[in-house]
Amino acid sequence: MAMGIALQLLFTGLGIGSIYALVALGFVLIYRATNVVNFAQGDFAMLGAFSMVVLCIDMQLPYWLGILITLAAMLVFGALFNFAVYYPLRNRGFQPVIISTIGASLLLENGVLAAYGPRPQTLPGFLSFPGFSVGPIFFDSQYLLILGVTVVMVTLQHFIFERTLLGKKMEATSQDKEMASLLGIPVALMIMLTFMYSSALGALAGILVAPILFVSVGMGSSIALKAFAASIIGGFGDVIGAIVGGLALGVVETFGAAYISVPYKDAFAFIVLVLFLLFRPQGLFGEKVAEKA
Amino acid sequence: MSLLELKNIVIAYGKVEALKGLTLRVEQGEIVTLLGSNGAGKSTTLRTISGLIRPLSGTMRFLGQPIDRLSPEAIVKLGVAHVPERRRVFPGLTVRENIVLGGSNRAQASRRELESDAERMFAVFPELKPFANVLGWKLSGGQQQMLAIARGLMAQPKLLLLDEPSLGLAPLIVQQVFQIIAGIRAQGTTVLLVEQNAHMALSIGDRGYVLETGRLVAEGTPEALWNNDELRAAYLGGRKMVR
Amino acid sequence: MSGIVSSEAHKPPTERRTNHGRGFLTVLIAAMTVVAPLLLPMTAYYLNLSMQAATYAVAVVGLTIVLGYTGQINLAQAAFFGLGAYSVALGTVSFGLSFWLALFVGIVIASVAGVVLGLTSLRLGGHYLAMVTISFQQILTLVLTNWISLTRGPDGIPGIARPLVFGFSFADGGTYLALCVGTLWIVGFCVERLKHSKLGRAMQAVRDNELAAGVIGVDTYRTKVIAFTLCALLGGLGGGLFAGGFTYISPDQFSFAESVVFLTMALLGGVRSPFGATLGTALLILLPEWLRFLKTTYLAVYGGAIILLMVVMPEGIWGFLEALRRRLWPPAVTPVGRVAPLPLTTQIADEDDSTILEVKQLSKHFGGLKAVDQVELSVGRNTVHALVGPNGSGKTTLLNVLSGIYKPTTGRLFFDGQPVTRLLPHERAGRGIGRTFQNVRLFTSMSILENIIVGAERPGNAVAIGSNSVEQHALAALDFVGLVKLRKQTVQSLSYGHQRLIEIARTLAGSPQLLLLDEPGAGLNTVEKSELVQLLKRLKRHGLTILVIDHDMNLVEQVADRITVLNFGRRIADGPPAEVLCNPEVIAAYLGNVKTHVAP
Repeated sequence: MAMGIALQLLFTGLGIGSIYALVALGFVLIYRATNVVNFAQGDFAMLGAFSMVVLCIDMQLPYWLGILITLAAMLVFGALFNFAVYYPLRNRGFQPVIISTIGASLLLENGVLAAYGPRPQTLPGFLSFPGFSVGPIFFDSQYLLILGVTVVMVTLQHFIFERTLLGKKMEATSQDKEMASLLGIPVALMIMLTFMYSSALGALAGILVAPILFVSVGMGSSIALKAFAASIIGGFGDVIGAIVGGLALGVVETFGAAYISVPYKDAFAFIVLVLFLLFRPQGLFGEKVAEKA
Repeated sequence: MSLLELKNIVIAYGKVEALKGLTLRVEQGEIVTLLGSNGAGKSTTLRTISGLIRPLSGTMRFLGQPIDRLSPEAIVKLGVAHVPERRRVFPGLTVRENIVLGGSNRAQASRRELESDAERMFAVFPELKPFANVLGWKLSGGQQQMLAIARGLMAQPKLLLLDEPSLGLAPLIVQQVFQIIAGIRAQGTTVLLVEQNAHMALSIGDRGYVLETGRLVAEGTPEALWNNDELRAAYLGGRKMVR
Repeated sequence: MSGIVSSEAHKPPTERRTNHGRGFLTVLIAAMTVVAPLLLPMTAYYLNLSMQAATYAVAVVGLTIVLGYTGQINLAQAAFFGLGAYSVALGTVSFGLSFWLALFVGIVIASVAGVVLGLTSLRLGGHYLAMVTISFQQILTLVLTNWISLTRGPDGIPGIARPLVFGFSFADGGTYLALCVGTLWIVGFCVERLKHSKLGRAMQAVRDNELAAGVIGVDTYRTKVIAFTLCALLGGLGGGLFAGGFTYISPDQFSFAESVVFLTMALLGGVRSPFGATLGTALLILLPEWLRFLKTTYLAVYGGAIILLMVVMPEGIWGFLEALRRRLWPPAVTPVGRVAPLPLTTQIADEDDSTILEVKQLSKHFGGLKAVDQVELSVGRNTVHALVGPNGSGKTTLLNVLSGIYKPTTGRLFFDGQPVTRLLPHERAGRGIGRTFQNVRLFTSMSILENIIVGAERPGNAVAIGSNSVEQHALAALDFVGLVKLRKQTVQSLSYGHQRLIEIARTLAGSPQLLLLDEPGAGLNTVEKSELVQLLKRLKRHGLTILVIDHDMNLVEQVADRITVLNFGRRIADGPPAEVLCNPEVIAAYLGNVKTHVAP
């Protein structure tokens, strides 16, 4: 019986963890390309979720159309974000950019708040059938969808970065921007593509998680902080680390909420984060945090 | 018309003038060497030519076309490839991937073309062939230098800028590298070479320039430069060296 | 060059008068703003607004210390503010303490929290540290909201009493506001003075160039911890006053969003000055009055403002005004009179130990790369010892190990007979090891003289830490390299050659026994190089020992008593110049093998 509960929690934890993993992936990609932490990453998810509410609830569009429009819009938004928030500060060192992304997060959250009001919204699940049971475990269809989409995205991303020339160019840009430009790789374009992709990735996470959580203005921030914790746990800058870290954090948090305490659920992510930062800042997979030169 | 012409190039970082009115030229088919002690401005010169640094004043022309306002991407498309100091191979990409990316300036080339060019590059650099699928950071210094040059050649440049290719390499490897450089000239690519290892550089160069704190202080054939004792002492290292 | 030493008392009369005049004016204005609330009638609405501005400003001044001076991002200021506020609230309402005692407890708690946060900066910087501060903030918000038995949760705590002093009550709004404004002035004044103290200079050095700061004697870790503690202390003080002012608090007033608000206020006003902090706070609290229609979107506007500020005016309004003032009225350089000579005598050890630095079997590996490989080196006291070798031979790495920037993989170091292998960079500076860098590392936000004073303030320097003698010592060091006239200039306005000399003067101010110079001749022309040679010879005559890296054999030959040659991390020669420069292995390493020729 306890085993059944544990397995159920594991399934749920993996589901939530996948969301963290998707957002963490976006973090890591932007960080690798620009050496900057994007504090507004979670708000991409929030925008994705709200967009679905507007399109599918207010405007009554079918889900598939809403998703398509949202993703397309978020691709464009990523490019805008790049131009407004990162590009003007790209040569100024990391601190101004961090602060600028914090500002962007504030702007986005409160902009949506002003436009939509503070009441949390709900979104029904995407699939008409609610799920199925295997023994004591209930596999919720939305969670299954999340896991499925995550697997597809990770595979797709692997394909892009490992097999296509464009992916290689983006990799090269993130490893050595100056050298990439000396070879003729359009670095500014590569970075913009990275932002666009990360934005869409974040939005996708928001779309998927919207039926499970309340769609609220603050949902992005809390997801983002946990996704950030996940990428540090996995090893900052490491793609696999982001995914493993996200999944692990989702599971730890779910178990923690069930067995220890519900209101302090969010604290687990931060406590784990701080512990890792103090004792193993390179995370599970990362290399040692660089020695000073 | 010279292949590359610099006239009175001035580079400043804030108030510090790194290049104080540099004038030089490179003719088609030559190997020209740029010598001088650390901080003389040799690397700065190459970085200016390849577009990483914008000159404060002065003109640069490549095949008659002004390039002083162009970005690095545009300059490499014109046919100037820069192999920078310390190699800078992409550490997380394989040798083959590094080489293929060297052709990024060739907009019309298809991926298939680039891959077959890469194969041909392995024929020129046979030591790299067994490492084709090895990640860049795992290579030795000499192998990285070969890789960086191969990558530079993939751009099919008319002018190759080499920044201190002998840096940190064992003497035997340095000889190999310089043999390759001589071979590059034989194939029709012009080379502008920055070196601290003066003797090696002068032994394959057709002409040399000597820089001191951003200014040109000597130019001429290798023999003329080598025989100038004072120059040797101050810039090429060692006064009491016996030849 | 002996003579009358100049000091504050000997400043020309006009300069003294201007300083006194400015001081008097400031006190007058301060007094007026404190007294105004007592005399002028103000509506409750404006009273509350001003109280919020004053107490917030105290917290924002805390950010001036940690972000403006020390360069560390702190996104938990609202948490410290909240600790102070809740201490006063719970202290007076639940535990029956007096306001002052509760405020004191609040400040202590906030400070301890600040220490804890500062301690995490040991191995972290940049965005990692920012994340820790955010986590801290979030955890505290969660605790405030959910530990209902202690904090009363989201309902908050009403009915906080105002303080009493000997029966005189601050219950009246105007009186309490006067208290807050008075506190703000005192805090602002102290923080402004901090900037020109030894600690303040250490903080700015950490901000400008943490690596160089450590090497010339600043305990960078301790400085950062102190910065966080002071910031938290001010946050707690502001929060405590805030609680007394508004007599009701609840957790949502101390959330991450408020931390961002504090940050915005600091950035808008100018993060490097308490005046900027106050200005930014006042603007962002009092301005929205006629932007009242923006009440729901004011945070969004904040967000946009932050981005704009970072792009257009990163130093904030005050910083912008300061820069303008410096351009229109550049500081007058008053003549300084004659300067006492720099005391550069080294202590001669009792035993006739003529080796000052001993390097035994030193190796430094970076993964598989052997940057330094089993190097042995002995530097004789009062000699000039050159370290040469082709690029990439390990010279700078070796110097970095000697400075304490890198830990050696194997091997041991002895300085003056004492083992120093495990010492941190600032501890080595404390023993008398000085160092300059290949890429000049000066502190760009401080004046030239201040740069040198930081060097003079290294631990264990035989200079009394009172403002006069330290400044004299610094002037003497500047005079030694002949650049006293540049003392008020900014770093960026100097030529490269002069910057190099300033870096040397900064080290000399620390009265080093051993000077490690990394390519001091790089980038200098022939004239400057020969001046450098003269300088090195003078230093040797004064008893210093010098270990110098350089590529210019001419220069090396003129100054060196002994040369050690490295190639591929290994020592290939060691001896007097005449011997070493004829060594065929050395010749081959540098010039290339004479016998080989490459076929064209």
